[in-house]
Amino acid sequence: MTCWGKLNPVIPFTAKLLTLCLAAIALLAVTACDDRSSAEPGADHSYRIYRHAMDGAPSSLDPAQASNIYANFLAVNLYDTLYRYKYLARPYQVEPNLADGLPQVSSDGLIYTIGIKPGVHFIDDDAFPNGQGRALRAEDFVYSIKRQFDPKTRAQGTWLWQGRIVGLDEWKENGSDYQQDIPGLKALDDRTLQIQLVAPFPQLVHTLAQGYSAIVPREAVEHYGQEFAIHPVGSGPFKLQRFNSAGAVLLRNPGFRQEPFSLEAEGFDPALHGSYGLDALEGLAPPFTDRIELEFIAEDASRWNAFLAGELDFVKVPVSQFDQVLQRRDPPTLEATLAEKYHLLANLESGFVHTDFNMSDSKIGEHPDPLQNVRNRALRCAIIKAFDWPKRNEVFYYNIGQVFPGIIPPAAPEFDPQQDQSSVKRDLDGARALLAEHGWNPANLPVLEYGFPSSVTERQMFEQFRSFLGDIGYPPEKIRPLTFATYGDYAKAYLNREVMLVTTGWTMDYPDAENTMQLFYGPNASPGSNSANYQNDEFDRLYQSSSSMQSSPLRTTMYRNMNRIVIDDCATISGVSRKLILLWSRNFRMLPDRSFVGGFFFRFVHTGSPGATTVEQVP
Amino acid sequence: MATEILARRKMRISRSGLTGLVIVIFFFLLAVAVWAGWAGQNWSAADGERWASPGSTWWFGTNQLGQDIFERAVYSVRTAFEIGIVVSLLSTALGAALGAVAGWRSNTLADGTVLWLAGVLDSIPFYLFVAAVAFALQGLPWAMHVAMIATFWTATARLARAEVMKIKSREFVLSARAIGLPSWLILMRHVLPNTLHILLIQASISFVAAIKTEVILSFLGLGVQDGVSWGLMLAESTQEVLAGHFNNFLAASIMLFLLLLGFNLLSDALQDSFDPKQAAL
Repeated sequence: MTCWGKLNPVIPFTAKLLTLCLAAIALLAVTACDDRSSAEPGADHSYRIYRHAMDGAPSSLDPAQASNIYANFLAVNLYDTLYRYKYLARPYQVEPNLADGLPQVSSDGLIYTIGIKPGVHFIDDDAFPNGQGRALRAEDFVYSIKRQFDPKTRAQGTWLWQGRIVGLDEWKENGSDYQQDIPGLKALDDRTLQIQLVAPFPQLVHTLAQGYSAIVPREAVEHYGQEFAIHPVGSGPFKLQRFNSAGAVLLRNPGFRQEPFSLEAEGFDPALHGSYGLDALEGLAPPFTDRIELEFIAEDASRWNAFLAGELDFVKVPVSQFDQVLQRRDPPTLEATLAEKYHLLANLESGFVHTDFNMSDSKIGEHPDPLQNVRNRALRCAIIKAFDWPKRNEVFYYNIGQVFPGIIPPAAPEFDPQQDQSSVKRDLDGARALLAEHGWNPANLPVLEYGFPSSVTERQMFEQFRSFLGDIGYPPEKIRPLTFATYGDYAKAYLNREVMLVTTGWTMDYPDAENTMQLFYGPNASPGSNSANYQNDEFDRLYQSSSSMQSSPLRTTMYRNMNRIVIDDCATISGVSRKLILLWSRNFRMLPDRSFVGGFFFRFVHTGSPGATTVEQVP
Repeated sequence: MATEILARRKMRISRSGLTGLVIVIFFFLLAVAVWAGWAGQNWSAADGERWASPGSTWWFGTNQLGQDIFERAVYSVRTAFEIGIVVSLLSTALGAALGAVAGWRSNTLADGTVLWLAGVLDSIPFYLFVAAVAFALQGLPWAMHVAMIATFWTATARLARAEVMKIKSREFVLSARAIGLPSWLILMRHVLPNTLHILLIQASISFVAAIKTEVILSFLGLGVQDGVSWGLMLAESTQEVLAGHFNNFLAASIMLFLLLLGFNLLSDALQDSFDPKQAAL
């Protein structure tokens, strides 16, 4: 400012002054760059920034509240979890993160012993004596899990371990006294943990890769109290610089453990990942980025326009833009002009959308009269036959969603690509015949109430559903919307069994079909997660047998049999796994993920080319 | 010269009023056609291609579901009239009744209560209040109507109260009281009929406000639950416009604009014709 102000009146003096200013700026820049590059192995002496857009915002940064994808993204970057998922391997595989290896499991599958890597420290913070982060100990993990069961925390991840760990539920019932030991949750020493289970729980290791299981220091929780939600103190690859409802800024944690990146260990496949430039990362120590700027932009148009304007390096493409962005849908291919600037990834969601029949409603579900029960099943099967999945996929998922039969989605390792597709094929003649055969006609068909939270897309899905059923002669006036102001109201209603047709999405918590099977397990009926209120003795028996089994061909067969049972009972109209179209600047070497890897990928984002965003000023 | 200008002005007003009347009658006939089942009955069928362009098959094109935008726009006329008629009639009736009681019993507890209630309701931002009531009652088929009636009656009540206060001291009312007619009969037979000009104008204003409010509430997801309306069409178009498809947006906007224009012209003309100053000309 001063330099430019004196430029015109006195040129010789100005020239000197300008030279002086430029020299000062250059000196500052060099100093700043040196300061940072000294901490980055293999760096090219630039300060690396990655700008990422999220379509929602976390309300808290406390891992105990990491109940949605946004909070989880931040939790796993600000804190450490014992395990994570391999960056590139698909199907997803668990990888030690803070743990020094996979757990040692006793022969009966009940005792897990886990070692912790040495030399891990929390970031420096006022919560610690002298403001210096102390070493992370096994006891911190015990404290973090106890905290999930402390009613004062109001944690949302309790369900992951409820009834699983010996003594944990009792600890909660006895007043959550942190001085009291829990027999099934022990720190054997500073670097060794032992977890004793009530019954075999093969999915335990997956729960230790969730943001909920992130390790927090007790000092920080007590020091900040309520403020802990916005003042994270962890040992993750990043630390927080700024957080508000519009965004967050994460800075590289200079004290993060130095572990060379291994392409092989992360599941690199040259055929799949070769074009992303990831091979250049071999041997470098993550995190590769100095600063991550997160923008929380819920509005599709704003997010998309910000990306096109170059204000973001990554975006989830709004569905409404698919026609403009994609040259071809199968496989998704970018328009040529966009392909020059951006990488594309069609990321299949780790879940599915399905419409369940409320089986506890005698008008459509189970009926005490066996004859009527058979008629109701025929009605449900006819509705399923009338459902036009290709049309649903075309209109709402631009034909890039993956339609599949049953309740094992493609993201689950137990998914069977060869299975019978008849339950997702439209068969209008078959549907009409089924109705006629069982004495259904427009006069005696029951009034269907299709529930949904009030939104444009949900309403359009309802209208499309009504249109599908119109094609088999179901009177439109007998298919009524049951709308709710919020999703919370809707959930409350279907958990109270008040909704006849329940459309929901389920995102798997871990890559194991057990996580979707439990949606149809009888004892989980509403208000549990079985919102179809489905009851089938054979299904329940198989679930009980398989839920404590380690992954094996036998367990996979059992899962697939259970899938068949649900399909045969016509309990749900299912399903479709959506694909997200992710775009990011070609300046970055990375492979984003919205699924199980989720926020773990931030540490692997690398500013690969000179055109990427760098700054010459200290942020 | 001045008279000539005034005469021309009056002519212009009456022409615009006539235009408004024609537009309103046109839309009313459309609504009747929908009620009678002659038009707009195929509004929910999703049997077209997604986002088909306007043409001989789909006059206004189709939306994302492949539904006929013309059918939906026409059916929405019925929705608009149903809401307009119900809300304007009931809110005007309620406002007239409460205003008449308040005016007849001015400076009493009844008057104070009505004024207090109207003051409280008027002090809440209108759209916020209507949205809150509609939200609270969501699930009830008449939630939107109740929300609007609960707010629209206040203006009518204030006007009716003032008019009744003026009329009640007129000689014919005093005569009726002198011969011992009960208050309710005087109100019904002699007072309220003399406020009809105000009520008619208020009803037309409420009609327009009800249609606009319905569009806003439906756009927000708090309005029409089973059916279609211009508000729902506009809500759908928010996603379509992003993808470069404007048919839904244009159809709903133009139809809404025309109907509101017609009603505004008509109510302005009504206001002018009932205005004593204009009548004196």
